[in-house]
Amino acid sequence: MSNNDLYYPNPRKDFLKTESPQSLFILNAVMAAVYFTVLLFLPPGNKFLFALLIAGEVFHVWQVLTFLYSVWETDYRPPSRRLGQDAPGVDVFITVAGEPIEIVEETVDAARKMYYPNFKVHILNDGKVANKENWRDIEALGARLGVNVITRTVAGGAKAGNINNGLRFTSNPLVAIFDADHVPHPHFLARTVPYFTDWKVGFVQTPQFYKNFATNYLTRSSWEQQELFFGPICKGKNRLNAATMCGTNMVINRHALLEVGGMNTESIAEDFITGLLMHNKGYRSVYVPEVLAEGLATEDLLSYSKQQFRWARGALDVIFRYNPLFMRGLTWAQRIQYLASASFFLSGAVVAIDALLPLIYFYTGEVPVHVSGMILAAVFLPYLFLTLYTIQRTCNFTFTFPSLGFSIGAFNIHLRALWAALSRQRSAFSITPKQAAKGNFLPLVKWHIAYIGAAVVGVPYSIWREGFSASLINNIAWALVVIVTFLPIIRTALPEDQKETRAARRPIPYTDPTLGPRSYAPAKNN
Amino acid sequence: MPPQRIIKEGPAPGIVVSLSLMMLFCVAVSLFFFSGQSLRLDEAQSLWQSGRDPGSILAVIAQDVHVPFYHLLLHFWRLFVGDSISSARLMSLVFYVLSIPALYFLGRLAYSRPVGVFAALLFALSPFMNWYGSEIRMYTLFTFLVILNQYFYVRLMVGRASEHVWIGYALTAILGVFTHYFFFLNLGGQALFYFLRRDLFPKESLRYFVGIALIIAAVFLPWVWYVGTQGTIGYQNPALPTPTTVNLFSTFSQFLFGFQSDHLNTFFLSLWPIVLMLGLLTLRKHARLTPQAEYFTISVLAAVIVAFVASFIVPIFVSRYLIFTIPSLYLLLASIIDIYTPRFAKNVRLAFVLLMLVMLGSEVASSSTPVKEDYHAAVSYINENIAPQDILVASAPFTIYPIEYYYRGPAPITTLPQWDRYRFGPIPAFDESQLPQQVETLAGEHQNLWLLLSYDQGYEERIRLYFDTHYERLMIKNFSPGLNLYVYKLRYDTPLSRESSR
Repeated sequence: MSNNDLYYPNPRKDFLKTESPQSLFILNAVMAAVYFTVLLFLPPGNKFLFALLIAGEVFHVWQVLTFLYSVWETDYRPPSRRLGQDAPGVDVFITVAGEPIEIVEETVDAARKMYYPNFKVHILNDGKVANKENWRDIEALGARLGVNVITRTVAGGAKAGNINNGLRFTSNPLVAIFDADHVPHPHFLARTVPYFTDWKVGFVQTPQFYKNFATNYLTRSSWEQQELFFGPICKGKNRLNAATMCGTNMVINRHALLEVGGMNTESIAEDFITGLLMHNKGYRSVYVPEVLAEGLATEDLLSYSKQQFRWARGALDVIFRYNPLFMRGLTWAQRIQYLASASFFLSGAVVAIDALLPLIYFYTGEVPVHVSGMILAAVFLPYLFLTLYTIQRTCNFTFTFPSLGFSIGAFNIHLRALWAALSRQRSAFSITPKQAAKGNFLPLVKWHIAYIGAAVVGVPYSIWREGFSASLINNIAWALVVIVTFLPIIRTALPEDQKETRAARRPIPYTDPTLGPRSYAPAKNN
Repeated sequence: MPPQRIIKEGPAPGIVVSLSLMMLFCVAVSLFFFSGQSLRLDEAQSLWQSGRDPGSILAVIAQDVHVPFYHLLLHFWRLFVGDSISSARLMSLVFYVLSIPALYFLGRLAYSRPVGVFAALLFALSPFMNWYGSEIRMYTLFTFLVILNQYFYVRLMVGRASEHVWIGYALTAILGVFTHYFFFLNLGGQALFYFLRRDLFPKESLRYFVGIALIIAAVFLPWVWYVGTQGTIGYQNPALPTPTTVNLFSTFSQFLFGFQSDHLNTFFLSLWPIVLMLGLLTLRKHARLTPQAEYFTISVLAAVIVAFVASFIVPIFVSRYLIFTIPSLYLLLASIIDIYTPRFAKNVRLAFVLLMLVMLGSEVASSSTPVKEDYHAAVSYINENIAPQDILVASAPFTIYPIEYYYRGPAPITTLPQWDRYRFGPIPAFDESQLPQQVETLAGEHQNLWLLLSYDQGYEERIRLYFDTHYERLMIKNFSPGLNLYVYKLRYDTPLSRESSR
């Protein structure tokens, strides 16, 4: 098969075939240290720019080292037990707030058909308090499918409030939670519940797979971003008892949830914070590296931006409001893991710094370091390529340029979230749209386009100021690198990209080849 | 390791035509652009060394920094093909041209036909390779043997070992180590890869590799002993500076874009973040680093890094010594481009082809190409103008080889510091305190002194300053980068007036 075919031999499993080449990790860490040391001792140019550069590189090295720490060993699987007649009861919550009825129906129907002896499905209907037109249709759907519908009448706390409301009307010791679009596989409970070996297991999380990932460039890219997280990173966190709670496709210990006051309603990333609080109370977490439910990725840039903002805003709350460093119930491994995950969303500031350096040069001639020769290239290129290779090895070569581009290109969203977190602005919880919105999304990438414009104007100005110098050429190359990494996100803002791709019409069927209807055994360790 | 698609049939007619055109292109470039160039220092040295009987060749090569296979081959080539510069250069061209299909077959074996074809195309267009394809040195033979050796190695790696493959591997390795000392870096890279990816090779391979290593040691150690008995290795060669990171990256720049002026080279080096960009764009779904890519990466990087680091002890970092990494580099480049989306890959390929063509043109046409040594023009000028009562002085001393090749003038020729290359021992070191006395000896009864300075060994400027401050400079003329002719008036009386005054 040619490398040029964008090829998904098994999208539900590929990203979970992780690897932990530890000697490579050590080499990577050494290279990071060498790179940073060399950078530190380069003769500074403009001291302010040098300080910014160093701050940015401290962040990058922190990211690399914490990544290596996370993925150091990814095959650990916590203990589980075989379920028999004592299978604990599970309340299955499907949170709904105005999603299209056919999407909700598919999820509810699949939930009803799960292979498990003792569970009850509840639709947590928030449509009424969210002023959604179809909230009565949801009630009718529940009646038609024979599932309980809990319709909230008092608003507050968004999705977290909806779940907490559901807790009041149910009583089973375990609670499974699915977003309206996340369709569980038949063996979801059979695969997850066995990890509740004792009452100290707080929650069990599974991957958030996007079944519509092939719809367009954006869905594909956003899924590719998820693959790195739900592949090696989440698997690695398992060993450190630091799994991230993601709000859907999970099972929670009701007792633990109630002990931390229910789902956190103070932050728009209620899941992340709730998981943190559970860990702080000494509850354990489990990540099951198996696709057991399938949801929908955002299909348009506006929805993607909103989702990213919500994630970033919530994650930054971990740094500014719930800082794990000061939570005495956490282990140091958990503190580092939470900080590593949350600090990813600080990258917007670092991307902005790095991107601005060439522009600053074009307009002022100021540089952060005076590099004579190629010493920077000699340490930076091996370090960076080794890091990319390490990432690829750990995630089974599923990391892609578009996913990187989306992480970098979302810098403006992350910056906005950072400002909101620093200024303690209240941010409203918004439900991720399940269908593609139509419209002009170019305003969402106005900063990216402005950057290109500033570079295009800045280059001739710089030539006029000093002629063609080595520094200018080098900064043009850097600006080009930044622009190229912005292209994936700019592309999704273009009207042409909103059409469905050919790949979207290719069916990606799910089959369940492994389980019979009455098997409750957990999967064997990978 | 992914299963290998075994291609048993020969190349398709289209590929045969493509490869033939590439080979023709190289021949044409050599004939039309490079064949008329002046003999360079290294070439003159090769001619001088290979012009002796085989026993003497071994002796002079043992005193040089090289190994004798190429020179012996050149000796017999000149006997049978002809003794001109063109015929000597033809031997290098033959190995260069043969390397093109060889590289295609290596690329086809390691990757695919398209990768093989594109790597061969890069190789044919390469300004660096074209330069050495027309130089009377061992570099194209060296490269050719490395390609063959790697072909056999990759065959072993992809599970296609047979006795013939082992024999081919051993034979090319033995010839290789007698072609250039740096062939050991190629073998070292292979050993490192074997150590890291032992699982890719046949079970009995360790036994075979050890056996071949012992054979190489057995045939090479006598040469080492012989060189040791000569005790003068490297004394005739230019002094090399300790390399910097600029040299390191310039090597790769030269491998891709050839020998360019300092300005152009700086331009290419400054664009290094583009390498990062091209690397990021290879991040595609399931675009794995294949074992072959791992091997070629190690093959390039291990050699370059070892040569670079070793140069801090003994300066040996010269881009042409590392020419053997070019096939691996081009194969890597071709395979990386193959990862891109088809449209982008097409554009990148086109960009590389055009850029290399333009740079080849620049290398040929530009007078500031740094490796150009126009001794022919310089000495022709001297031949026309020098008088019997003058003296021609060459510095650095080893530049006597190309100068002497062309020199037909009536005046005597010598070097500064003075050196008799027919006498055993190293070139005398430059001693500034001895300079006045040496110059006085040289000047003797001569009227004018023609000073041809090239290959600065760190004292060129001091010699020039001495003459500038002690004698009247009559003229200065530059012939190529770093090749300057100065004429000084030694005395104002004439032979006739001296005669009459006596």
